[in-house]
Amino acid sequence: MQLQINGKPYEIEAEPDRLLLWVLRDELGLTGTKFGCGIGVCGSCTVHLDGNPIRSCSTMLSAAAGKAVRTIEGLAEVDANGETVLHPVQQAFLEEQVPQCSWCMSGQMMTAAALLDQNPNPSPDEIRQAMDGVYCRCGTYHRIRKAVDRAANLAQHAGGQAE
Amino acid sequence: MSEPTHPPKRKRLSRRDFLIMLGVGAAGLYVGVKLGTPILRLRLAEYLEEAGGPPSDIEAPPDAWFEILPDNTVRLYLPKSEMGQGVHTGLAQIAAEELEIDLDQIEVRHASTDRLADPVATSASTTISGLYVPLLEAAATLRELLRGEAARQLNVPAEDLQLEKGVFSLKADPAQKRTYQELIQFSAGWELPKTPPALKPPSQYRVIGQPAQRLDLPAKVTGQAVYGFDVRVPGMLYGAVARPKTIEGKLKSAKPGQAASQPGVVKVVTDGDFAGVVASSRDQAYRALGKMEIEWDAGRLWQQSEIDAMVTVGQGQGVVIQQVGQLKPAIESGRIVEAAYRTPMAFHAYMEPLAAVADVRADKVEVWASTQAPKGLRGKIAKALDRKDEEVIVHPVYLGGGFGRKIDERAALEAARLSQAAGKPVQVAMNRKEDFLTSFVRPPTHNILRASLSASGEILAFDHQAASGEVAFAFLPGPVGGIMGADFGSYRGAITHYNIPNIQTTAWLAKLPVSTGWWRGLGLMANTFAIESFMDELAEAAGLDPLEFRLRHLPDSEKGQRMRSALQTAADKAGWGDSLPNGHALGLALGYDVGTVMVEIAEVSVENDRIRVHKVTAAADPGLAINPDGVRAQTEGGITMGLSASLIEAVTIKDGALQATNFHEYPLLSNANAPDIEVVVLNSRTTPSGMGEPPIGPIPAAVANAVYAVTGQRLRSLPLKFG
Repeated sequence: MQLQINGKPYEIEAEPDRLLLWVLRDELGLTGTKFGCGIGVCGSCTVHLDGNPIRSCSTMLSAAAGKAVRTIEGLAEVDANGETVLHPVQQAFLEEQVPQCSWCMSGQMMTAAALLDQNPNPSPDEIRQAMDGVYCRCGTYHRIRKAVDRAANLAQHAGGQAE
Repeated sequence: MSEPTHPPKRKRLSRRDFLIMLGVGAAGLYVGVKLGTPILRLRLAEYLEEAGGPPSDIEAPPDAWFEILPDNTVRLYLPKSEMGQGVHTGLAQIAAEELEIDLDQIEVRHASTDRLADPVATSASTTISGLYVPLLEAAATLRELLRGEAARQLNVPAEDLQLEKGVFSLKADPAQKRTYQELIQFSAGWELPKTPPALKPPSQYRVIGQPAQRLDLPAKVTGQAVYGFDVRVPGMLYGAVARPKTIEGKLKSAKPGQAASQPGVVKVVTDGDFAGVVASSRDQAYRALGKMEIEWDAGRLWQQSEIDAMVTVGQGQGVVIQQVGQLKPAIESGRIVEAAYRTPMAFHAYMEPLAAVADVRADKVEVWASTQAPKGLRGKIAKALDRKDEEVIVHPVYLGGGFGRKIDERAALEAARLSQAAGKPVQVAMNRKEDFLTSFVRPPTHNILRASLSASGEILAFDHQAASGEVAFAFLPGPVGGIMGADFGSYRGAITHYNIPNIQTTAWLAKLPVSTGWWRGLGLMANTFAIESFMDELAEAAGLDPLEFRLRHLPDSEKGQRMRSALQTAADKAGWGDSLPNGHALGLALGYDVGTVMVEIAEVSVENDRIRVHKVTAAADPGLAINPDGVRAQTEGGITMGLSASLIEAVTIKDGALQATNFHEYPLLSNANAPDIEVVVLNSRTTPSGMGEPPIGPIPAAVANAVYAVTGQRLRSLPLKFG
């Protein structure tokens, strides 16, 4: 089966009913995407499928075939000098010192990145609602909201510079 | 530039060359035993990692190891687990302070048990407070050893040297210098100081007390950090284990059935009370497990009402744990107020379920796990496999939350059994249902408080009876509990710190059929909920403002002063007494735990019987805040987890089984319902106390008190609900 993950093509030999989460983690070694509940409730396993945030724990491999998958490992970019450039969401989560245990954080950051792709300037309430579907047991919700707001500003600032 | 006094070695030092080892032993800190004075044990040795263990002349295993790497940075190995609480960063700050290096010159690693084996789990908010002085002393000793060597190599008296960022130089000629790494590389030997060097006065701290960026976060925001669930070992297979549905369930019989012929299956294991499958993939293992023929003995089908009846003041074993003055006759001499409170059973519900990888080989056993207790786990594995402790190496990795449950060795033991049977490394990584249904839970509690008030509103006598299921006793051998009397885990937070002439606190303990145990703060949250709700009930009976009532009852001691300062700081910040939006009210609660003072004030409204917490303001006084931003983060986190417990969480038992198998049946507080939190950090001392648990204590009462202020209804059970 053909998959595109973080911009690279993959040929995967797995049953089409395998769940995307376990293929990413166990077959491809992309363990940045986390298991939390397996029923699509907690959001720890969130990845992008053609830019949309989806729950990889309840998405079958067949549903991802031919589509672009993006995981936390593909959120940062590598510049011309080979240096890693963090995505504004990652940068903001660092600057706000959001993660504690961080098990949920790839799900949080992928959700935030998708939000900003679709709504570059979200209101506080839009941030609250968009981030509501990803649990954090360490209790970083307040910092998550601040970081998403900061990421929106970082992204707009960076965009402005590019122009 | 001056030349080194010894010619450089031809071989470039590899990062694995172990150069200096300092052993630091915090005094034996077994769970529940009072923390003793830290003792510094020092040994110096050259040691190569390839040797496979600490030098044999080390009297006692050290608790921290320093390595100085070729780029002159310091790697600190610690036996304490990083589960999100930020201890690796706090401990690095402490070491960097006396090593005279910056925080970006130090990195922290989890120590495997062949390197360090700390008998004390990462628990009870004691990591920073317990290691503070030992780490300062070790770092200072290492620094002074290096200073002596620098004086020798540069051929000057030590007083002529200055030190900055791990580089000694001549005060008179700064170009004459040696890095720590050069000093070690060309050292002719080391002479230990007879006594630990004097430590810096806190007024001179550069690193301690400054907000620090967490050292573990760069790897965490890029998805590179490795947790127990993420460990991958060459040739690793996946295990699935049969589990009962009921709390007393026992395996009656297990036959492989069709499991062995399922795709990918490598081994089907049936061994006494254990049945499991090893397969090439996780899916295959779980699918094949479903094909085994397994019969269970469900045990007694317990009901929640039976559990509640057992956890009731007056039932089981009662021990007086606090006695001030005489309860009688003072308790009858004034106006009597009485109230009872309950809290339910709850899960830890960290986001990473229990997971471990075991590789059982003829020569040694290696285990990788998200564990709060690597040494404890090593002993359990060795015992289960009938191996020597030294043959077992536990590699602790990052924990996706712990909250007390991740002392649980179950997944690692199962992985070891399956690995032994399959002859390959095996991972056991639970799904959420397995994690919940194998869990020991927060014990249910029942508190009855009774007090008498004078006409002028002073508390004359205070009678607190606290009943709980076991916490610490669940993990101690039976006789130990008998000697200790009361379960210190259950009664955590039950001691009254107010200045009251007559106090009696009694702890009642029930052994329950359901496993109960450690949960963030142990009894702290339940007991603080009861005491601090009751203080508001007393304030109302006395006709006094809740803040004023508490201030009047503070002890005239250093602790009382700290409480006063925290109360006033939080009240000022929250605008206590100011006007609020219509339908909003504030509630406050004071907590004291492991030497830390916490005040939390919740702003609440109630709409259609739904409690909304809009904002929480907190004052946290951990004595000395090593990382003030870490103190804030722990306060925010404890408050948020405590709010989830206050508003939503409970698990019950029906027909012998815990009644929640996943988050759809056990929801947590979500982002949209989580308030903004403002934290003021207070420093009142020169030593740090714990921060992992104290913040979870006051929040339920703060919310309940605010709900009362809004609605006039006093809610005395968690989760807080109307009707």
